Amino acid sequence: MTNRTGTRGNELLPQNSLCPARHFSVSSSWLWFWFRALALATILTTCALSPAPAQETPRGKALSKRVLCMCGGCEDSAGLCNHPGGTFSGPCETARGMQKDLDTQVTRGESDDQILQAMVEQYGPTVLVEPPKKGFDLLAWIMPIVVPLIALVLVWEVVRRWRQKAALAPAGGPPVSAEFLARAQREANREPERENDE
Amino acid sequence: MDILGSFALLLALLAAVYAVLAGISGILTRRTLLSKSARNAGMAVFVLVTIAVGCLEYFFFTNDFSIVYVVEHSNRALPGFYKFAALWAGQEGSLLFWSWLLSIYAFLVLFLNRKRHPELMPYVGVVLAGVQTFFLTLNNFVATPFRVLAGPDGAGVMHLAKMSEGHGLTPLLQYPEMVIHPPMLYLGYTGFSVPFAFALAALLGRYPGEKWIHITRRWTMVAWCFQSIGILLGMHWAYAMLGWGGYWAWDPVENASLLPWITGTAFLHSVMMQEKRGMMKIWNVWLVFTTFLLCILGTMLTRSGVVSSVHAFAQSSIGSWFVGFLIITFLVCFAAYWKNRDYLRSDNQLDSLVSRESSFLFNNLILLAACFAVLWGTLFPVLSEWVQGSKISVGAPFFNKVNVPIALFLLLLTGVGPLLAWRKTSFDALKRNFAWPFGGGLLAGVIGYPIGFRDIYSLLCLILGVFVTLTIASEFGRGARVISARDGTNIFTALGELTMRNTRRYGGYVVHFGMVLIFIGIAGTPFNKDLQKEMGVGESLRIGQYTILCQTFDHIETNNYTSNRATLEVFKNGKSDMMLFPERRTFRTSQVTETMVAIQSSPLRDLYVVYAGESPDSGKPVIHAYLLPLIKWIWFGGIVVVLGTGLALLPNRRTALVLRPATERSWADAIAEATPAIGAVTRRVEGHD
Repeated sequence: MTNRTGTRGNELLPQNSLCPARHFSVSSSWLWFWFRALALATILTTCALSPAPAQETPRGKALSKRVLCMCGGCEDSAGLCNHPGGTFSGPCETARGMQKDLDTQVTRGESDDQILQAMVEQYGPTVLVEPPKKGFDLLAWIMPIVVPLIALVLVWEVVRRWRQKAALAPAGGPPVSAEFLARAQREANREPERENDE
Repeated sequence: MDILGSFALLLALLAAVYAVLAGISGILTRRTLLSKSARNAGMAVFVLVTIAVGCLEYFFFTNDFSIVYVVEHSNRALPGFYKFAALWAGQEGSLLFWSWLLSIYAFLVLFLNRKRHPELMPYVGVVLAGVQTFFLTLNNFVATPFRVLAGPDGAGVMHLAKMSEGHGLTPLLQYPEMVIHPPMLYLGYTGFSVPFAFALAALLGRYPGEKWIHITRRWTMVAWCFQSIGILLGMHWAYAMLGWGGYWAWDPVENASLLPWITGTAFLHSVMMQEKRGMMKIWNVWLVFTTFLLCILGTMLTRSGVVSSVHAFAQSSIGSWFVGFLIITFLVCFAAYWKNRDYLRSDNQLDSLVSRESSFLFNNLILLAACFAVLWGTLFPVLSEWVQGSKISVGAPFFNKVNVPIALFLLLLTGVGPLLAWRKTSFDALKRNFAWPFGGGLLAGVIGYPIGFRDIYSLLCLILGVFVTLTIASEFGRGARVISARDGTNIFTALGELTMRNTRRYGGYVVHFGMVLIFIGIAGTPFNKDLQKEMGVGESLRIGQYTILCQTFDHIETNNYTSNRATLEVFKNGKSDMMLFPERRTFRTSQVTETMVAIQSSPLRDLYVVYAGESPDSGKPVIHAYLLPLIKWIWFGGIVVVLGTGLALLPNRRTALVLRPATERSWADAIAEATPAIGAVTRRVEGHD
């Protein structure tokens, strides 16, 4: 936990990267915010002394692509954050902190869901790269499937109508069998019902 | 000069307003003189906006730092190339540039058609002038590019001011593609105004039949081609410049450029239904309306910063103007449609589900599904914030998950559609046309899996890519064999002849093939590798079969920037292969640092090396190497797409057909016609023989 908040405190320290300071929706009280910042600046210095290696756990690496870098200056995931224009074109301090957190949590044996949940608690729902598959946000996932399906049904209906029209068009067509004619008439009789339906 | 520029812009607005009003009254009173006057005013807009653009460029080239826009986007040492491009580096200039490109299109449309379509052109002029009025209003009153620097003195009196040096152009934009990418994209965005204007004009004026489609076919293709080039250049710029080893991040602005491209693609396909069979009239009109609205939406997303994006250079209240314009445009379109909808009544018939017609329907369905998915994902954060009060992120993985299956299905249709005959395709013909390509695709899958295509989507993409390529090849082959057998020419001459007989059809196939190449390039993505390592002189890293050895770091100075450069020797399978020089440039005026990626590109893979700078932790230089398979196919595919579109724009050649005996002529014509599938023609030829 300490480590995670450490990243947050980090935001308040002057840094050379392009990232502007960001106001988190989670933070409500200034007092609490500063308290954390102060408490964790110390932890941060200890962190900074040991060089941060690239992510070590493969799961941590995969997870880092599922959370956004929350420095506020980039739209990339923590795993892909690279800040063109900054003094260092690799993951920024925030991203590196997040990567480290993820690694720590992975080594602690937490599940992917638990880790992501912890991230959401810390940074708010924007931290997730994909919308969560629940509540209102489920719509984000459902609509791209449902709308084409509805469209498919509509196209199907249109095709069926057009085929009926073609079947009913008399002139110049091939000779019509009695059986076909009977079916066409059957369908023609059904026609008014459908139009009433609409 | 700033007064001249502002004045020209103001006059341009007046001319556009006059063109709308005089145009409408010309139509209502049926006075040709009034319509002509409106047309001339429409053409004058071009001259006036050109003067304004000329003025702004003049300020850039004379380093006139009394103009705010020049101060913000230029400096003395900026190379002339980029000074020219600085015109579209910011909000005000971009919108002026939009107006200018639109006025070029409008001028060309009005000028080239000045003696044609007298009953249609007045409406077209009014619609185009209407769009111009909106953008010129923005240029004049909302985002004026000629704002001068001024500050109050001690007594509060405003005085003109002048800076000695500008802030410089955003270093991200100081890259050759950046000079071409925005104009191409804007030419695409503005170009779709032309088919839009004609569609609305035809509807308003109840212009007979499919004529508006014939008139705008080339315009639409030109706009589509520019849009494609713009998107691809943007991808290449992102790839070569941003240094993250990717080319498409599903950024809102990237999405915004993709949306009208998708509906434009759908439109280019579905108009064929109307041309050949008189079907889908309502659909086509709405498709072109939608495309235009999406162009405006795209411009709005780029310019207003409604959704956060790296492209939203300036965030302002300009969004509400665009929303207003979108609503008005939609209402006008809807009113025109509602009033004249009986004019669009078409006799839609479908003989068989297995036919070209239905394949077009599904093509449109899939394209619109893709368009919806992208639009939905792009705007969902806004919607979510509106409904739940909190923003969420919709990032690249979402778009990939949703769009990859859709895209693959589209690829399948690209192979199937063109081989189906109009009206009806028999089961035998299906078997004959598809057995080989399908077998070839499966074979490619069987070979591809063991050599590395171990990702389900990539494997499917490979199978479908080969399938589509073989269907295209068989189409060319079959047609060419018929011609070669008849004329006794060799197969290559026959291929040329075949293509030139029906440039639209065969150009279209070339475009399809280009798309296949792009898809194959994208299919390489799951196999990307990357490695980041702190590397001092003499240290090395190993990625794939490459070993990268760090030789030196040096420092370069130019007027515009200072650069730190790494010299890397690359060994391939143990042998020295090449040198790479990734750089970090720090621009003098802005003090912003940019990475200049070193890329060693080959058809199979790109070795992409970024000098990321010194590690904040250890102070050692960090090298980030990527191994990216098949990327080159995307750029190559893009070139093929553009060439194919160019081919489709050429007029059909109809040589010496008149001299041939009647029966042969009918075959040749049949080949030249896009109507029946070549398969059917071959059968007929065989039958005759």
